[in-house]
Amino acid sequence: MIPLSYYVWCAVALYLIGMYCLVSKRNMIKLVMGLEILVNAAHLNFIAFSAYRRAGFIDPFGHSIVIMSIVLTGCVTALALTIVTYAYKHYQTLDVRKLRRLKW
Amino acid sequence: MFTLPLDVLLVFMVASPVVGRVASKRGYRKVQGIYALLSLFAVAYFLYGLYNEVAEYNIVLIVGQLPFKPPLEACLQIDMFGVFMAFLYVIIGLFAIAYSIKFMECESGLSEYYTLVLGMIAGMTGIVFSGDFFTLFVFWELMCLTSYALVSFRKHKWEPIEAGFKYIIMSAAGSATILLSMSFLYGMTGTLNFAALSSRLTNPVSDGWLYMTLVLVIVGFGIKTAIVPFHTWLPDAHSAAPSPISAMLSGVMVQTGACALIRVLLLVFGSVQPAWQMTLVFLAVFTMFGGNFMALLQNDIKRLLAFSTIAHMGYILFGFAIVSHQGLTASLFHIMNHAIMKTLLFLCAGGFIYRTGTQDLRKLEGIRGAMPVTSILLAVGAVAIAAVPPLGGFWSEWMIVSAGIEAGMLLFSVLMVLNMLLSITYYLRLVYTINLKEPTSISEKATEAPVLLLIPVLILALLCIFIGIYPGPFVAWAQKAAEAILGM
Amino acid sequence: MGVDRSRVAGLTIIVLAFLILLILIMNYDFPAFEYTGSHTEPTAELVKNNTAVIGPEVGRFLWNYRVIDLIAQAFVLFAAAVCCLALLKTEEKKG
Repeated sequence: MIPLSYYVWCAVALYLIGMYCLVSKRNMIKLVMGLEILVNAAHLNFIAFSAYRRAGFIDPFGHSIVIMSIVLTGCVTALALTIVTYAYKHYQTLDVRKLRRLKW
Repeated sequence: MFTLPLDVLLVFMVASPVVGRVASKRGYRKVQGIYALLSLFAVAYFLYGLYNEVAEYNIVLIVGQLPFKPPLEACLQIDMFGVFMAFLYVIIGLFAIAYSIKFMECESGLSEYYTLVLGMIAGMTGIVFSGDFFTLFVFWELMCLTSYALVSFRKHKWEPIEAGFKYIIMSAAGSATILLSMSFLYGMTGTLNFAALSSRLTNPVSDGWLYMTLVLVIVGFGIKTAIVPFHTWLPDAHSAAPSPISAMLSGVMVQTGACALIRVLLLVFGSVQPAWQMTLVFLAVFTMFGGNFMALLQNDIKRLLAFSTIAHMGYILFGFAIVSHQGLTASLFHIMNHAIMKTLLFLCAGGFIYRTGTQDLRKLEGIRGAMPVTSILLAVGAVAIAAVPPLGGFWSEWMIVSAGIEAGMLLFSVLMVLNMLLSITYYLRLVYTINLKEPTSISEKATEAPVLLLIPVLILALLCIFIGIYPGPFVAWAQKAAEAILGM
Repeated sequence: MGVDRSRVAGLTIIVLAFLILLILIMNYDFPAFEYTGSHTEPTAELVKNNTAVIGPEVGRFLWNYRVIDLIAQAFVLFAAAVCCLALLKTEEKKG
């Protein structure tokens, strides 16, 4: 089997990609996608660990956490897209840098 | 299912849209608010029963199906700390809902509003009751989801939508970071149960990955707790939300983040305590300074109160970081005091906004002539939270400082006293502007706030004064809650 | 030019973070399941790595062990639906 460190590094790399996406993208829908990438990093970690518990077996604990977490993430994404819809109605653009009316 | 108070709260939450729809069809719009109020009274009654049970047995463990036991099984572990915080949520919720019966009467979508407020209280109660990390995460998401929708509730204006978007992106990134830290903990130990995690991680051989998980936990919970580098969502969200929701967000939701953080740090990361203790102390001092300095520059009354919340979160985190019995007691007592005083301040500000339609302090100058009762109650709240002796804030902040001195953190205690003195300037500026300046044209035209808005505010002010004069039983209860967290 | 420079800076930081973390993770092995304690938990819960069996077994695990989380999640789904309703509903203002 592939050593476990590769999967852990993939998960950390996904987390960094998600953070980069949140920090640097301008389109609001891409920001919501960045949130999904962040959460998928943790999901990959859970599944990898549940497969490496013992050779030839999987631990159903990791899989059950991922199933429930996918549902929660879906709820957050639905709400985020609803807010993006209203932001488009108010500002007529999907550029997050135009949402600058609230200063410090 | 779960324990009785949480069950009742969730059932009432599910029934609330039905009640709301029937009531609005018949034309009785206030029934929805009264229904939410009655449901919270019922929850308070059952919570008292739970309090008696916890007082007798110390910890109440609720497990889903009996033949299957922890550490693999999800469980609720209710101790005196959980009951303390749950009572606080229910009481602040009662005041917020009683206030919103009159404040939100012209809004559309009221049945969803009350459902979401009950859902937020249920989520917060579940967080402090949970005994397993993933159960905490599920209730954390319930609290977060309902608060995203409540901040953006007035969707027809641009400000709540912009504030809500910023809030949801930052807060969901925090939740994802918490999930990543949970995955590392599962990889190290094979379970997510708090009791099992604390017993398995007592002397770890290799510390490196544990430190990385610690950083992720502090960042993840810290975004919600408004620790200074991650606090930028808070002023916008709290000033754009409707006033009773701002009161609940500032009063109890930010503190729930701190409670979950200290619970996880004490239980799971006990072996690396020196590392996170000093980190938390430094972060708390930055938060205090950041909140106080930014509050000095504000002209909007709700943004000023929001930055003051950030400063008080710094005080609370400092008390938590002194991991001693006195420190935790002082912080829990300050959480209770701050919740009551900040709710009072936000509800008074809501009264001004209801009558004049503006949040700008420069336009609200001298409004005391037109709205005397609200202005005096705001002055009571501001004086209490500025830590002036006979009222409540002084006792709790002084307890935190003395706990810091006893634990040997002399420099940080001095910095906290400096911050308290600094904060007196902007609270006094608030009282001076509202009460003693010449009225502007806008503030002359106002009339006194309606009686239904004044009743909850008056009761809160009386409670504030009462806790200040007679803090004894409240401090004793906070002491029992602190003993429960420390596992004594 | 300013936007391009900050973008290049951001990309450089990310690539550096990737490489540093790659080196660190490959050298310091992850302590996978080293702290499982005294094996008091039912290790018989592990499921054989066979694609047909995993689905029903994980479902059984969810209902036996994680029922509190499942019911709480049902309430979260309900709350999410109510949130989206609250935001998307447009009523005529009664004035």
